[in-house]
Amino acid sequence: MKASERNRTRVGRPVQRRLKATYSWFDERTGATELLHKGLYEAVPSRGSWAYTLGSATLVLILLQVFTGIFLLLDFTPSVESDWNSLDYLRTSDPFGNWVRGLHLWGAYTLILVIGLHMMRTFLSASYKRPRELNWISGAVLFFLVLGLAITGAMLPWDQAGYWTTVVVTNIVHYFPLIGDGLRQLWRGGDFVGPLTLTRTFAIHVWVLPFLLLTFIGAHIYLLRRHGEFGAWINYDTVSDNPDREIGERVRHAEPPYPTRRIERRYAAPRKTDDFFPNQLFKDTVVSLGLVLIIFVMGLLSGAPLDAPADSATLSYVPTPEWFFLPLDQFLVLTPHNPLIAVGVFLIVGGGALAMLLLPFLDRSRDRRPTRRPEVLVPVMLVVFIVIFMAVLGVNRLYSLSP
Amino acid sequence: MKRYSRRQFLLLGTGLSAGAIGVLISIPAIGFLLSPLFSKKTYTWITVGPIDQVPVGVPTPLYASMPSIQGPPTEPQVRAVYVVRHADGSTKVLSNICTHMQCDVHWDQLLQQFLCPCHGGLYDINGVNVGGPPPQPLPEWVHRITYDADTGQHVLEVQNRLNESI
Repeated sequence: MKASERNRTRVGRPVQRRLKATYSWFDERTGATELLHKGLYEAVPSRGSWAYTLGSATLVLILLQVFTGIFLLLDFTPSVESDWNSLDYLRTSDPFGNWVRGLHLWGAYTLILVIGLHMMRTFLSASYKRPRELNWISGAVLFFLVLGLAITGAMLPWDQAGYWTTVVVTNIVHYFPLIGDGLRQLWRGGDFVGPLTLTRTFAIHVWVLPFLLLTFIGAHIYLLRRHGEFGAWINYDTVSDNPDREIGERVRHAEPPYPTRRIERRYAAPRKTDDFFPNQLFKDTVVSLGLVLIIFVMGLLSGAPLDAPADSATLSYVPTPEWFFLPLDQFLVLTPHNPLIAVGVFLIVGGGALAMLLLPFLDRSRDRRPTRRPEVLVPVMLVVFIVIFMAVLGVNRLYSLSP
Repeated sequence: MKRYSRRQFLLLGTGLSAGAIGVLISIPAIGFLLSPLFSKKTYTWITVGPIDQVPVGVPTPLYASMPSIQGPPTEPQVRAVYVVRHADGSTKVLSNICTHMQCDVHWDQLLQQFLCPCHGGLYDINGVNVGGPPPQPLPEWVHRITYDADTGQHVLEVQNRLNESI
């Protein structure tokens, strides 16, 4: 053996040993290995697993928003006097400024779409039935929080678009019965949109809503792990001649042992599962990569728009809402005179939001196959169709329909 | 006097202490949050200018730099003030804030009406809502018209507030 080889073995072995010893010191104190195993070796339903990537994609996109949002905070100044200038500086003088703003904007657009798909998937597979009612409710709360973040985000650039969005959005709340005027006053920090409106909206967008969002994400993921991924009806087929025995056999191995009724026993445990790692994690990562690529490219190519500075004296500016608020905007066009505005906005839209939140208690169908619960599927699809139809009307800004 | 077990005492003490912490923090927090409802409002008179040249029967936008009513001092916001002179000598000083969603209303020459671009609200020359979703007429800016003897002109002054809430 040459001297150099001898040296390498003498140096190499103790380094590996020492690394191992360091990790076991760390592991003994933190339980890192056990935590990692618990995180990675969750059993997930085997079939349809590409459809189950939407939840993790939502999480990745939210984290991307937090990440790009923190970067924007480095340069953005939330005051009516320097807001527009700081964004104009990003656009004209910072080579990466408009790209990062673009990532934040297109990330938000993609996030809203992906949450919509995630909710649609969960709805079609009726994953929110016992014992996962609170999974749905925490998810619906997350959806509303993301919409709140999207609209407050659109209010922050003090350009024409942001300013007039701020005027309209803060004005909507004053139609709320009884306390509406006070709410508008509090949000605006005065009768009209002014310096306090911007700082308040900024605080809501950057602290209040993200804090709530992260809290509810924690609850949502905790509940997911507690009850396990449901998947969809396709994971619960029976193949033997004696389905009851087959299901009984599955339920015996499932935890927790909640099911009592036959239909609940059927959907208690999937027929076949895979480990989350690496099967599901691979698909999750691929889907997230695809979405991040889209955002990356759109952010680079399209960036984020910045209008002329806010002008409260304009006579020619036509405020248009962001696309995800087009249905609501068109709804405002169609709502006739006072006092029905309040009724329209807060009974129909608020009622719809409440129905979405409480869906697990409204859907009393017993089976989970879409074909066996048309009484739930048909009305919801109708509402989805109406919302999309209203958005299409909103794009064309059809005033002529108003009375 | 009622006797407490050790456990009851600890529970009561924990509950009262936690409640006291909550109350102590809530008083300034809620007061701060609600302060725009009570804080001082500063209304000022702003001279818009002479209005004798404004054509009769044609709503004409003039502009006023209005300081904010509440909040930290900032640059005044310029707002449009629609002056409508009638043949009978009366004058209206309309805001261009739509009573529906507060978008920027403008006088449309073709329609001979005020049009809101957001949701198609329509108002007649006196600001009365005549079409679309607006629930009430355009409010007027609080104003006064004075006669300046030196120049022989009627001068419009407005306040940074509306004559009725919308």
